[in-house]
Amino acid sequence: MSEARERLRRLLLVVPYAVRHPGLRVEPLAERLGVEPATLRDDLDKLALVGRPPFSPDDFIDIYVEDDRVFVVLDQRFERPPRLTAPEAAALWASAQLLRPAARTALASAQEKLFAAVPESAREPFERLAERVGSEAAPMDELLEPLSRAAREGREVEFDYLAAGRDKSERRTVRPYAAYLHRGHWYLAGFCLVRQDDRLFRVDRIRSLLLTERTFRERKEVRAETGARSGVSARIRFSPTAAPWVRERFAEQAKALPDGGVEVELQGATRDWIVSYVLSFGGEAKVVEPAFLRDAVGETARRIVAAIG
Amino acid sequence: MDRTERLLDLIALFLDAKEPVSPAELREVFPDYGQCSKEAFERKFERDKSELAELGVNLDYQPPGNEELGGYRLRDGYYLPEVSFTPEELAVLFAAGSAALASGAFPGRADLGHALRKIAFGAPGGPVGGSPHLFAELGKATAEAGARLETLWGALLARKRVRLSYRALGRDEQTEREVDPWGMCLRRGVWILVGYCHLRQAERTFLVERIARVRVNDERLKSPDFEVPASFRISEVAAEQAWEHRFHPPVEVELQLSAELAPLASRLFPKAAVEAAGEGARVKVVATYLDALLRRVLPLGEGAKVLGSARALARFREMAEAVARHHAQPEEPR
Repeated sequence: MSEARERLRRLLLVVPYAVRHPGLRVEPLAERLGVEPATLRDDLDKLALVGRPPFSPDDFIDIYVEDDRVFVVLDQRFERPPRLTAPEAAALWASAQLLRPAARTALASAQEKLFAAVPESAREPFERLAERVGSEAAPMDELLEPLSRAAREGREVEFDYLAAGRDKSERRTVRPYAAYLHRGHWYLAGFCLVRQDDRLFRVDRIRSLLLTERTFRERKEVRAETGARSGVSARIRFSPTAAPWVRERFAEQAKALPDGGVEVELQGATRDWIVSYVLSFGGEAKVVEPAFLRDAVGETARRIVAAIG
Repeated sequence: MDRTERLLDLIALFLDAKEPVSPAELREVFPDYGQCSKEAFERKFERDKSELAELGVNLDYQPPGNEELGGYRLRDGYYLPEVSFTPEELAVLFAAGSAALASGAFPGRADLGHALRKIAFGAPGGPVGGSPHLFAELGKATAEAGARLETLWGALLARKRVRLSYRALGRDEQTEREVDPWGMCLRRGVWILVGYCHLRQAERTFLVERIARVRVNDERLKSPDFEVPASFRISEVAAEQAWEHRFHPPVEVELQLSAELAPLASRLFPKAAVEAAGEGARVKVVATYLDALLRRVLPLGEGAKVLGSARALARFREMAEAVARHHAQPEEPR
């Protein structure tokens, strides 16, 4: 989209926001509008030149800054934002699809309201666009809705958890901090009362979930890259066959080997995760160190071979 | 007066107009329109009108009636209606929207930003933010990757053909492709472009990160280059599993899952036929990329067995033995 159009679109929001928040300082107003304060000041200067015929003094927008605060005297009917365009609604809808497995109910009701906010002539284009942009939606609402609710309301949950590479599930009691999506997988971060430590759970390996009435207060800010992890490091070697994928995924972290393969140093992963990650390469990856992980992968592989018979 | 001002003045005029505004009036009140020939005015006004339409401000011409002169007026109203999203709905929309904006790797970011500001306008209280308890983390994209997604978003909206330089995995060579962009989706953390590939003369998917360059057909920008098939649904592409990539003719693979794994069957293998068998479950999965399916089964451990086909079982054994061999314990020194 051209810069001029982008600016015009922004200008149509400045007056409504300033009307709605009279006397708000330049910086927080700019933040709400998603621009730098200097840009907002330029926008305000521009808006002061806008008016309608016959362009007598009272026909212009009267917006000004006093003591760093923004005031509107005459809004010339720009008191509310324009309706959503089809691309705006479609972009919003496409992003919302990310969280659909965790918030199907909320999104179903939001969709109707969103539809109402789009002018009639844009509804069909919006619907057609919505069929064209999206993301995968794992069928796990029965878990994700209660888990995110438990995190929001600060309630303990209990569930059976089958850790990757393990053959028995285990009952866990967890104080959930957050449910989040990362690289196509859903995780639950929380304090595990069984392990007495922060833990990360793959939601697709949870079953028999129970949302208890027991509440808790302590919260922790969670981010995927700092997520609760036990922090094992491992050196893994990939064959020349697997190398192109690994290079794409790890970029410069993948170090070239003389045989055409690559080596990657993984950090901050769990034992179980590394075992299943290496297995998922079907013989094209091997753990160089630490020895206990090499043994763990070997042990699992030997059990699989034995089970084939 | 620059064009931005003129367009804003036009909106101000129409917001206040009680009756349709005739072309003659427009020429009278706007010097830009009045001080040129009628033809030049018409061209200029048409361009302004279509620019306003891009912003969602639609002007309609109403022909003269008994009482009224013909003229332009706003269609569909202008103002965003009072939309009362619940705090929960807003939290979800903002959690998803701010994740998309923060990553830089989301197509239509400018549109998304405006949409969020518009729906936040009516929300009570302070600035609306995401939720700390439910979020998506898409990772940071490079500015280049973000720009590429934005270009593709523009082409997708306008239905314009794109020319891609597409890298093959693990090779340096690139192929040039003409593609009609039907849709885009985020699948397992990776953006996929789906469209009609004129080189292969069929529907194809492209990993956006393997697109080295993209150029949008800039001829006749206002008119679309193609129609999207009515049956096209991005959700089907988004839900495609790695073993469903069309590399080989389909084979049916039968698996036996242990009692522990059986309850997870439909999550592990969406679309597969699942039936109870003994303590566990028997699962039939159709694969067009067998190795990808087997690589999904291996991490499940001894609780997942391949029963058939014979070829699937042989390949599975080969893989498991290779892993075992690579991780053999060093021999005891004699």
